[in-house]
Amino acid sequence: MKQYGALKALDDFSIDIPEGKVGILGPNGAGKSTFVKIALGLLTATSGEITVLGEKLTKNTVDIRRKIGYMPEHDCIPNEMTGVEFLIEMGMVSGMSLSGATERTHEILGHLRMGEEKYRLISEYSGGMRQKIKLAQGLIHAPEVVFLDEPTSGLDPNARREMLETINGLTDVSNTKVLLSTHILQDVEMVCDSVIMVKDGKLQMQEDVKTIIGEKSNFIHIRIGGSKEDFIAELKKKKITAEDNGRVLIVPYKDDSTYDQIIDATIKSKCPLYEMERTSQSMDSVYQEIIK
Amino acid sequence: MKSKAQVSERFRDFDANLTTRPWIVIGMGLRKFGQIMKFKNYGLWSLIVIVYLFALVRFILFADSENYPCMDMGDEYQRCVPLDYYGDFFTQGGTRIFLISIAAIASGGVIGNDMANKSIHLYLSRPISRLDYLIARFIPVFLIMILVTLVPNIMIFTSMWSDSGLKTDWLLDHKWLIFDLIVQAMVYSTGLAIIGLTFSTAIKKENPASAAFFLFIYGSSTICEIFFIALKVIEVDGADFILLLSVSHLLDCISFAIFDAKYYVMASGFPWETDISNIQIGAVFTVIFAGCSGLMYWMIQQMEANK
Repeated sequence: MKQYGALKALDDFSIDIPEGKVGILGPNGAGKSTFVKIALGLLTATSGEITVLGEKLTKNTVDIRRKIGYMPEHDCIPNEMTGVEFLIEMGMVSGMSLSGATERTHEILGHLRMGEEKYRLISEYSGGMRQKIKLAQGLIHAPEVVFLDEPTSGLDPNARREMLETINGLTDVSNTKVLLSTHILQDVEMVCDSVIMVKDGKLQMQEDVKTIIGEKSNFIHIRIGGSKEDFIAELKKKKITAEDNGRVLIVPYKDDSTYDQIIDATIKSKCPLYEMERTSQSMDSVYQEIIK
Repeated sequence: MKSKAQVSERFRDFDANLTTRPWIVIGMGLRKFGQIMKFKNYGLWSLIVIVYLFALVRFILFADSENYPCMDMGDEYQRCVPLDYYGDFFTQGGTRIFLISIAAIASGGVIGNDMANKSIHLYLSRPISRLDYLIARFIPVFLIMILVTLVPNIMIFTSMWSDSGLKTDWLLDHKWLIFDLIVQAMVYSTGLAIIGLTFSTAIKKENPASAAFFLFIYGSSTICEIFFIALKVIEVDGADFILLLSVSHLLDCISFAIFDAKYYVMASGFPWETDISNIQIGAVFTVIFAGCSGLMYWMIQQMEANK
């Protein structure tokens, strides 16, 4: 738990984060950044304990950061340095030698497809380039895991897509685990294997992204005439629950026999069937349901 | 394609071979020292040159090895070259105004700039603690101050030895002085560096932090001296303690204690007697510098928690 005075930033937050690329999704103020900072050892939890990469943070707060990269949410790069100077400095502050940091800097900037501009002052960089440099500094010391806090914050749609592709590319090529904190659903969908949803400092859900988008969220949308109540009652007899969202009725898809049962129910309830369509419930609707 | 695959493999298998925390801190400190000492920092370099020229003219060309390091002034007081060196320019012909200016320029942006552009968050996400960061930021200011305190005094010492004919006996007779010069320079350098960094952390803007530091040190010195003399004239008991509120006078008190000389304040052309015990001086020094260090640590911690 993390408490600031009366405010509980994280409450009863117990979680085992799987390997791979994990997204922490939640609205602004949900406690995502607090969680990331506690995991980095920058903040101390009011109670409870945290283990990162198998090491308890209470014992090893500073040294664990050798294995962790961090990309903060806000703009925090010095304008008076060039991209190359800044990355070398960050590498050396992580404990790398000058030659090691220089080599790695040029490799990363090569992956980021930065040419001559890497020798320009950071003050002359666009928002997208600044974000890329921020990402690069988090990966400079070849960490096992990188914490990305709102990496697409403030970017236009094209720059956002490019940033997410860069994250995917760089972390894949370096085999780095990712913990992505964001309030933007599409970021998680595009980058992560699994997702943790947080609201008001409380864990709401932890699930595989593919499971949410695929198997678990298969539904049939039905539009009928006549009495919806009669139709729903008929479905109930067949042990099928239907949810009325005002415009359509939503029925969970089990297998193809569900279609037959629906048709049978329309006949018995004397409701004309106008439309029946199998849909995948998007992660967006799961997210909206959780945060509402 | 083959070369791309090789690059990716090398990138993936890269061994950062990270060094230990003390080396990270020392490296950070030395790199920052190099940044501050770049020749484009004309103001700082001008002041350093002035200090060296001043030391050369005032303490080397016109000095006499017979009266080095100290000469008696009447029965009670001594006038010592290493004490005069740190003294007020106007009353003792010392370098204080330049030293404080150098400390102000050197320390003003060291932490303040990191806080203003928020890069402090990136530094603190590395394998260093807040204390490590503060030490790394203290090192460059301390080294610059050592450059203008200890080095000129060692030059004066060497010059006096040379003036004595490079005699081994002179060197052996004065070997205690080297230790005293080192301790004195470390006290001044540490004191001014810590207070300068506190202003830098609190104000978070380089030029205002430098100006505020200079005004604080020089202003409090002048104000405390005026009050001290006024209270002395009307013979108020305990007037001496007002000097402990001025950082430069506090450092002078320690400096005199290091040389085992009776502390006096030079004002209106003659020395004003004081009576402050070493324990009182030590206690105030400890409180001020522990307080400044604690305050810096707290401000960084607060900034970290609040983004």
